[in-house]
Amino acid sequence: MASWPGDFTHLHVASSYSMRYGTASPAALAERAGQAGMPALAVTDRDGLYGAVKHAQACVDAGIRPVIGVDLALRDSAGTGPGVGPSAGPARLANETAGRVTLLATSGRGGWGSLCHLVSAAHRSGPRGVPGVTPGLVAGHSGGLIVLLGPASDVGRAVAARRAGLAAAALARWRERAEVVVEVVDQHGPGGTAAAARLLRFARESGVPAVLTNAVRYLAAADQPVAQVLDAARQLTPLGQRHLTGHNAQAYLKSAGQMARVAARICGPGPGAARCGPGGCDDPAHELLAATAALAERCSLDPAADLGLGRLHLPEVPGGDEFAQLRRRCQEGMHRRGLSGPGAQPWRHREAARRLARELGVIATKGLASYFLTVADVAALIRDRGIRCAIRGSGAGCLVNYLIGISDIDPIDHDLIMERFLAESRTTMPDIDLDVESARRIEAYRAIIERYGEERCGCVSMMETYRARSAIRDTAAAFGLPPHEIDAIAKAFGHIRARGIRAALADLPELRASNLAMPQLTSLFRVAERLDGLPRHIAMHPCGVVLSGGTLLDRVPVERSAEGLPLCQYDMDDVEAAGMIKLDVLGVRMQSAMTYALTEIERTRGEQVDIDAIKRDDKPTFEMIRSGHTLGCFQIESPGQRELVVRLEPRGLGDLIVDISLFRPGPVNSDMITPYLDIKHRRRPACYPHEDLADALRETGGVVIFHEQVLRIIHVMTDCGLSEAERLRRKLSDASARPAIKERFGAAARRRGYDGTTVQRVWEVLEAFGGFGFCKAHAAAFAIPTYQSAWLKRHYPAAFYAGVLVHDPGMYPKRVITGDARLSGVPVLPVDVNASAADWRVEPVARRLDDGADRPAASSFPLSPARARRGGGRGAERRRVHRIGPVEGLRTGLREVRGISDAEAERIVTRRPYESLRDFWERARISRPVTERLVLVGAFDSVYARSPARSAGPARSPSPTRRDLLARVGVLAGPAARAGAGGRAGASRRAGRERGTTQHVHSMLPFGDVGGDGDGLAGLVPAGELPELTAAERVEAELEILGIDISQHVIGFYGEILHALGVVRAGDLHRCRSGASVLVAGVKTSTQTPAVRSGQRIIFATLDDTTGQMNLAFFESVQPRCAARVFGSWLLLVRGRVRRPGRFRPRPGQPGRPGQPGQQDRAVSVNASECWDLAVLEEIRLARGMGAVRAAMAAGDVPGPGLTAAEPGGKAQPAKQAQPGGDSAGKVVYPTGFTLSPYAETGSAGGSMKDPPRKLWHASPGSSGGWAAPARRPGA
Amino acid sequence: MYGEPIKVTVQDGKPVRFFWRGRLHSVLAVLEHWVVSREWWQRNSPDTDTPPEREFWRVEARPGEEVPPAVYELRRDVGTGDWLLVRVWD
Repeated sequence: MASWPGDFTHLHVASSYSMRYGTASPAALAERAGQAGMPALAVTDRDGLYGAVKHAQACVDAGIRPVIGVDLALRDSAGTGPGVGPSAGPARLANETAGRVTLLATSGRGGWGSLCHLVSAAHRSGPRGVPGVTPGLVAGHSGGLIVLLGPASDVGRAVAARRAGLAAAALARWRERAEVVVEVVDQHGPGGTAAAARLLRFARESGVPAVLTNAVRYLAAADQPVAQVLDAARQLTPLGQRHLTGHNAQAYLKSAGQMARVAARICGPGPGAARCGPGGCDDPAHELLAATAALAERCSLDPAADLGLGRLHLPEVPGGDEFAQLRRRCQEGMHRRGLSGPGAQPWRHREAARRLARELGVIATKGLASYFLTVADVAALIRDRGIRCAIRGSGAGCLVNYLIGISDIDPIDHDLIMERFLAESRTTMPDIDLDVESARRIEAYRAIIERYGEERCGCVSMMETYRARSAIRDTAAAFGLPPHEIDAIAKAFGHIRARGIRAALADLPELRASNLAMPQLTSLFRVAERLDGLPRHIAMHPCGVVLSGGTLLDRVPVERSAEGLPLCQYDMDDVEAAGMIKLDVLGVRMQSAMTYALTEIERTRGEQVDIDAIKRDDKPTFEMIRSGHTLGCFQIESPGQRELVVRLEPRGLGDLIVDISLFRPGPVNSDMITPYLDIKHRRRPACYPHEDLADALRETGGVVIFHEQVLRIIHVMTDCGLSEAERLRRKLSDASARPAIKERFGAAARRRGYDGTTVQRVWEVLEAFGGFGFCKAHAAAFAIPTYQSAWLKRHYPAAFYAGVLVHDPGMYPKRVITGDARLSGVPVLPVDVNASAADWRVEPVARRLDDGADRPAASSFPLSPARARRGGGRGAERRRVHRIGPVEGLRTGLREVRGISDAEAERIVTRRPYESLRDFWERARISRPVTERLVLVGAFDSVYARSPARSAGPARSPSPTRRDLLARVGVLAGPAARAGAGGRAGASRRAGRERGTTQHVHSMLPFGDVGGDGDGLAGLVPAGELPELTAAERVEAELEILGIDISQHVIGFYGEILHALGVVRAGDLHRCRSGASVLVAGVKTSTQTPAVRSGQRIIFATLDDTTGQMNLAFFESVQPRCAARVFGSWLLLVRGRVRRPGRFRPRPGQPGRPGQPGQQDRAVSVNASECWDLAVLEEIRLARGMGAVRAAMAAGDVPGPGLTAAEPGGKAQPAKQAQPGGDSAGKVVYPTGFTLSPYAETGSAGGSMKDPPRKLWHASPGSSGGWAAPARRPGA
Repeated sequence: MYGEPIKVTVQDGKPVRFFWRGRLHSVLAVLEHWVVSREWWQRNSPDTDTPPEREFWRVEARPGEEVPPAVYELRRDVGTGDWLLVRVWD
């Protein structure tokens, strides 16, 4: 044939939004198509329109026109085929083999709306996540749609199978219902050309137009391995399985010339090639290509006209004239908030009226009145349900939000400004974020959806994408590695990007020390890196709700979330591009924790505390914050924050706002903190770049901390107005835009009469801190829950801890929270079948002081044991204060027991009290493993405790030990009981039912109650038959079953070795001089690798040793020998030097502020130089004595759990010298010289910090499952 | 898969003649032509990120006028350019 002179448009293209199928982003595809001179490009993703908006935008950028369609699985019309079943898992696999059709939207005939509706219907018609269509389903939404019937369709498959009748019938089914086009594909596989020719001939003979596509799924042939790995991951099968072989690398975005050759191959001479029909044509290949181009023209969409992008689609507000409504509501709000009317302060009224006029002006200009009314309605809706709801983010700076009840923060009080939130210069929609209780977030969503209806409202989705761990998991599975190896390899990596896998192997000491860099794994890692960023599956965005006018479903395809909520197939960016409101309704665990605390206060004391009405200047609360005892509090519980609050000495909400703003990577690493603190504590005078800026910077003594200050500086210097200042501020973080801004700023400032030096000085400030500042409105919004949580901790500690333990809002494992509770004088009570609720509860307890050293005396907040021992002074005073009133303890919740179900926990609670183990076994009907765990953690101890009443009986035997009870569980659940036709009503229900008997087990068991303690089992397992668990075994059981050492701190078992080594306790660390070399030890409670100034990756770790928390820093120089151990071990012994930052010393002759003596002492940390696994050292001590321990420590190669199993007996590989600069993965450098390590904030390698390792006493024989036989434990 | 290295003459990207067992075979027609990727994951660390492909040609050919034609399957390794006779149907 003559070469094809025309264009070619790919009409069947899977982008990376075809999950685990396509490999190229819409942007990359559109760019390639644009470069190749194609007029248009389709994206027809599988199962949804997830990439549609991005594709439309990418096409605009690439100067081509978008074609949009979807590739959907076919369901059997009978409704019995693959994909129709109760569960999605098998259905999803069955869908892999189902036929598929592609549907394209045509321009201008409602095609886009039909496509959205059809995709929603396809998802609705099957189990979640397994969409599919039938011809009948398509018929319902076929207006403006074209059905492409390709080789994978029912028609195509019948033709390939040479079943002409079947093919004709299938085609007829489609033609009756929709406009149909046959899609011919030849990917040059075995038999491919012949099959394509046969399908083309069938189309010609049936009189259906045919087009050519390449069923594209990657950009270039080189991407094929990635596609094959995705196939394997999707089909849960290793590479090389028969159905995955025979593939080639031809499914790429071929050029027009290449596609013309494909057409020629299909149509050209040769067996099976198509010939022109009787109608006649010059060249069948030309005809095929021309038909393709014609269809592409019909389906090229206009992003604005067809998709409705770039326009606002806000919800309608009943009552008409939204702006008048909003103005009226604001005026009402002025009265309600005391800003107008008789009681209002004149200056506040004037200021509020002025701001209101300005804000309403902007809102009117931008046509956003209905937006504000809608959000106000949503906030009221949530609060009406009794769900705590608070604003977060820049919206707190907007007076309108305050007046109409969205926000509770008075922007005038806190000197917040609106422009950071809403300004004429902002082109994007304003964002209002609402924080609600995490536990009731879904309830809040349901309320919103109920109110607005699914035709206006849905949840925003987000794509989970491949990162290092997930990419390694899927690739390794495709390579056929065994699951445990896959797990070990994946967990060795932190939460880094997949593309950085090999760089991390080279850069990170803990990975260098592993033997993962072996050649066998290289090709695996190489492919895994190429999965980087590809979407894996759709998930509900953690907070996004979309609101629009009543035509949402015409513009957005919707599926179901796991919770059954309507889930838009668009992410946050798409929703905004589509002109809809996205409202962030964020679940905040702390809000739930506080609600729980408040209900506990009411339940136990009958007090109703209105946490939103408490005074916000409570002295004891700030005293506690200043002491750094803020573990568990919102925002200020991390080691770094605790250090900062101690140094900053907050005395009011304003200080908390500063504190929250300062604790960000930028300010921390640009060293803004020390100058600020020096000025705040009057060690240095305040200093302003120019006296005109004093007003703007007075609250922080001249240090720029807030975005709002940046805006004011720009405004003062240039008189540009705050709106324009906001526009400039946003550009400051873009280095390429900075010179132009500098130019403008300088010129305007000089016009205002500022001299060159001043302009330069101010510009330097802006440049350095403009990008780093923090939105004050956001910090103000955060400061409220921070204060509230601290207030609760100070005044109702037990209730506070209960809330924190139930809703787990923080960064620490629960055992750290219980440890903190004990230090604060709140006893932690064990699980008790007769006392525990499902969740943690406050429980009044009689004071017991016989708990030993591990429970220090109660105090209003914890003192270091050293100070407590010293007694006297303030400590004694506080203790006395606290002893008034009953002591409240924390009762461990049943749900902490590993493996217990909610139903079991509920049964235990509703059916108690229990008189004995047997009573419990028969009535609570709890599974045997859970019952055994309850026994092991002492949940039955109180049942058998010798109370005066019980021991008064004549023939009480001694109380059974936990081992006795464990043996009795065995008897109750054992074959004898079961053979006896119903060991208990529950466990042997089946047997019982079959024999129609519910005879009581007492009579059936082959033994009687001799000397009984209520179980009737004492004959077989007399009390005291087996020895009681040792203290160490109890703690081991608690850690394994609850994850919390309740009876005593685990470090207690290492007393001997710690004493022998002269280890310093956390509580005494502040007494060591700065720079002293110390040994410290404890349980690792956190590791962090935050961004730091130098661009180093510093590992910050926290250890806990009953007396408090210790902060450790491991710098890069020590990481080669320490990193693997820090991440891999749970119990650590560390050598390092004491460091005290910013210790306050009043200058001679100048009285210091009346700070709390000793408070600064708390800001002590240790720069680590060496570390060891304490459990391993203890084993050496037990086996060979202290001399061997010291020798092993000196040798420095104590074996211990690393991140992956090292070769047995082998030494860790000698660490490679860190590369010069160590930046093979590329550091990020900021204008202030602040350099960011690519591994900052990547989370830690190894397992979750929140769970203790399953194997606690490393390599101790029989440490699990050995309960029945006492085994020696360290320190036992 | 069994195969014997052969020498092949190519014109317009298609095989036209090949030597096998000392005899020159002329290709009468290309019956089928397809491409398959090699199983890259079985190789230890291939140097390229692009998996090497193999071209298959199923052709009708004969070693002389007097011999009836038979069907031969030829395979070309795209990376090395080497040809292999994979199978013969006669």
